[in-house]
Amino acid sequence: MGPELVQALKYLAAGLCMGIGAIGPALGEGRIGASALESMARQPEMANTLLRNMIIADAIAETTGIYSLLIAIMILFVV
Amino acid sequence: MFATVGKDLVLRFPLGPISVALNPVTLGASLGLALLLLAFGLWLRRGIPQDPEAVPARRAVFLLALLDFVENQVLGGVSEKLRRSLLPLIATLFLYVLACNLSSILPIPGMVAPTQDLNVTLGLALLVYLLTHLYGIRAKGAFRHVKGYLEPIPIMLPMNIVGDMGRTLSHGFRLFGNILGGAIMLAVAIPVLLRFVQSPFFTGLLATVLVLLGLVLRRWKKLWGRVALSLGMVLLLLTALELAFSRSGVDMARFGLSALAVGSVASFILNAFFGIFAGTIQALVFTLLAAAYIQVAAE
Repeated sequence: MGPELVQALKYLAAGLCMGIGAIGPALGEGRIGASALESMARQPEMANTLLRNMIIADAIAETTGIYSLLIAIMILFVV
Repeated sequence: MFATVGKDLVLRFPLGPISVALNPVTLGASLGLALLLLAFGLWLRRGIPQDPEAVPARRAVFLLALLDFVENQVLGGVSEKLRRSLLPLIATLFLYVLACNLSSILPIPGMVAPTQDLNVTLGLALLVYLLTHLYGIRAKGAFRHVKGYLEPIPIMLPMNIVGDMGRTLSHGFRLFGNILGGAIMLAVAIPVLLRFVQSPFFTGLLATVLVLLGLVLRRWKKLWGRVALSLGMVLLLLTALELAFSRSGVDMARFGLSALAVGSVASFILNAFFGIFAGTIQALVFTLLAAAYIQVAAE
């Protein structure tokens, strides 16, 4: 394989890695946000607790997205 | 002594059998920010009035609001007894990470946020990891703390250890990835935008769209309509000036006037989002997770 092909495949791999890896966190965070908003609308006095727990859950759901970002950065700049 | 790793300049020196590499920019920025925070804290402490009945000064009120935010929002889910002992630690962690994240918007050449360096974030995550054990042993005793790794059944021991490590790793990686991703977006988005804006045709189109948007929007949203309208007018004027200059044979700079205008507005918006908004949210997330990990270990 020529170096141009390797470079092109690297870009493709980084794009695929980030694009596919972002689907899961997006769906997860969407669900978390939707349920949190629903609960906040039902019980506005719990909004502070719900917001805090929502941020923690968001951060945990985001983890796989961050991993794929790191892998994409590694493919582009390190490998 | 000095070597380059990727684009970073590092200070490399042997320390016994291992070779140590230090990034002077990160080291200087993180230590400088720590000293700055220390000075800020001492200055705030001097604002506390001697006699508790006196009307509190502005600094004392600020300190009160800050600690109240950390105690009730960040540590809201922690038990009453643990909350008091965690408050100084978590408040310090929050302020430090926040200062590190916000430092990325400072217009200093070569400045990178310390949290863009994996060593800083993993160091902070390791600190939190060690503290979970400390708080766990203090609350439950060493035997019961170690026994917690054999729950619910002893076969789960490897899974519990791997889970512990993964939690710490992702704690550090999350902050690092978010801040680095924001920095990359900033570095990539503005040149791409400027490449579009370079052509007067594109700027003229953008200005026309903005003017039309402003005219339509003015009906319902007065402020935003005016903002869009005036931005579009300014852009239109700049494009006309640029075209006039290029017609009259004056050599245009590589980036024209409108590119300067669009570039500065875009970099303002991007810095506000990735630097301030995302930085604050990530500092909050980091401290919330630290508090949650310590609480799980201590209860």
